[in-house]
Amino acid sequence: MPIFRIMFLIALFAFCVMWIRIEVNRSGREIGRLQNEVEVKEARNQYLNLEILRLSSPETITQQAHEKFGFEPIKPHRVVVLNK
Amino acid sequence: MFKKTVSPFNIKNRMAVAGLLLLLLPIIIFVRLFYMQTFLHESFSSKAERAIYNYLAEDRLRGKILDVNGKILAESVRTHSCGINKRYVKDKEKTISFLSETLHMPKNQILDKWNKSANFFFVAKKIKPDNYIKISQILRTPLGQGLELTPEYERIHPYGESALDVIGASNSKNFGLSGIEQMFNKELSQDISKKRAKHARRGEIIYDRKLKEELSVANVYLTIDELAQYHAEKALYRAVEEVGAERGVALVQEPKTGKILAAASYPVKDGQSLAFQFTYEPGSTFKTVAVSSALDAGTAHITDSVPMEERQWEVARGFIIRDKQHKKDYLSIPEIMQLSSNIGAGKIALELGAKNLFYYMKAFGFGSKTDINFNGESKGSVTPYNKWTKVDTVTKGYGYGVAITPIQLIGAYSAIANGGYLMQPHLISHIEYANGKTERWAKPVKIRRVLREETTQIMKKVLQSVVEAGSGKHAQIKGYNVAGKTGTAEKLSKEGGYGKRSHVVSFCGFVPVSDPQFTILIILDNPSKYSFGGTAAAPVFKEIAEPLLSLKGVPPDQLDFE
Repeated sequence: MPIFRIMFLIALFAFCVMWIRIEVNRSGREIGRLQNEVEVKEARNQYLNLEILRLSSPETITQQAHEKFGFEPIKPHRVVVLNK
Repeated sequence: MFKKTVSPFNIKNRMAVAGLLLLLLPIIIFVRLFYMQTFLHESFSSKAERAIYNYLAEDRLRGKILDVNGKILAESVRTHSCGINKRYVKDKEKTISFLSETLHMPKNQILDKWNKSANFFFVAKKIKPDNYIKISQILRTPLGQGLELTPEYERIHPYGESALDVIGASNSKNFGLSGIEQMFNKELSQDISKKRAKHARRGEIIYDRKLKEELSVANVYLTIDELAQYHAEKALYRAVEEVGAERGVALVQEPKTGKILAAASYPVKDGQSLAFQFTYEPGSTFKTVAVSSALDAGTAHITDSVPMEERQWEVARGFIIRDKQHKKDYLSIPEIMQLSSNIGAGKIALELGAKNLFYYMKAFGFGSKTDINFNGESKGSVTPYNKWTKVDTVTKGYGYGVAITPIQLIGAYSAIANGGYLMQPHLISHIEYANGKTERWAKPVKIRRVLREETTQIMKKVLQSVVEAGSGKHAQIKGYNVAGKTGTAEKLSKEGGYGKRSHVVSFCGFVPVSDPQFTILIILDNPSKYSFGGTAAAPVFKEIAEPLLSLKGVPPDQLDFE
């Protein structure tokens, strides 16, 4: 009987080790996937920031202000600085 | 009775033999491993490091280049290249269809590459993050077998070609090749692959985010103001197109600090800024140097009248200077500048003398490089005065026989604007290091006093009169006193001598005269339509100065302008 107990304990230990290994692998893969996702999102974020920069460039703003609202650059002598 | 015999193949011996045989393989493996670890350790570790290093060499970080207000002019974005390893592709047709659809590429184009390559080829380089996600999702499926995604950085310029001639370029491996990218390559880039390889050897994660942050690179801030740069480029390109010029330069400097606010060149080439690399004979814009030097040295006085020799002055036998633009017998110094009289400027230079003119020219910074150290910066050419003839001294008085760069000329005008000091020009505002340390570069540095303050006050009035009543009328800005000088110089022809058809037109000035904020230089080289500094370059000054005055909120210095 003790031999069966020992074998059961060994089997249980082996199962635990195997389960832990599987869990570690699974977690590793999950971490890798999440890291990858973070990097992709960071890259996408960077692209979106650059797109904002592009859209807010002086050229685009001047063009849009003229086309959409009919704005023209103001002459400097018309500028009134209230608090410099 | 049988005698019990002991067989050599009894169960005990068999077990021992079997045990030995079973042990033999691990022993061989152990011995081999021991040998490799002890005697081949160096060779294997260097092989491993090389393999990792080669793989990671592509993954270099690069800092940002920003304008004075922190607007990004150049930034590295992490992208991926998509390649195919033909050997491992399961279903060629399906894989190619998927890539064609995802990367928006015609199937034939991918098939063409497939047919031309032996095994591995890149389908597309620097793919967008969205496409990267789509491809990375199918990598572990049968459809994605044979596909490879290689990380790399792409240098992005959010404002397109704006200031690209100053910023320069870096290659696909993120090494600076020209312009600021090359000048500050050490600060901007950091090859972290070796450190990463060491980490990898120790069994740590190769793409360690902590490592990435810890070894982050420096950001370089320029003195360039993107808004000023935009207006300078816009005005310059319009003028270049209008007169059909071959080349053009528009340079804006803060006269009190020496900071370069805009440096536009046409045509735009990576890292080839004409502001520092273009040398030319300035013509009449150089009269300012000769006249201010003579006034400062006391060889000329503002109330002097210069005889015009019936507008035909024979300087030496066979060398005659003609003034066709006026009919006066005498000209005052302001009139010489307003009418851009070569006879007047030549006589003033001759009176000043070769030695004095040479020393003033050197004091203004002509014939020497500035400490900006821009790649390919030219120092121009000023020959020693002991080699000058009388004609040389006279012609230098009105800007011939001397080769200068735009950055040198704008420095000279800024010296007049700021009260007489030659300022160190600055292109770099500061460098921000990863550890938070900031190194200031653009501290105002007075190189030397070139002119006395009284001289600069007189010169300001003289140059103001050029814009008010002389050749620079097109530079007038309502509400502001503008000072400046036009220039129309004939260029040396290939056959020798000066050709009438080939010329350089320019205008250099500052605004407002009472408290100069901007010195602006415009040069249009070799216009196909015959034009003059006053009609082609002076309006560009106005076009650049007006938005700058508005944006900076510079108050008008004319009292009654409405």
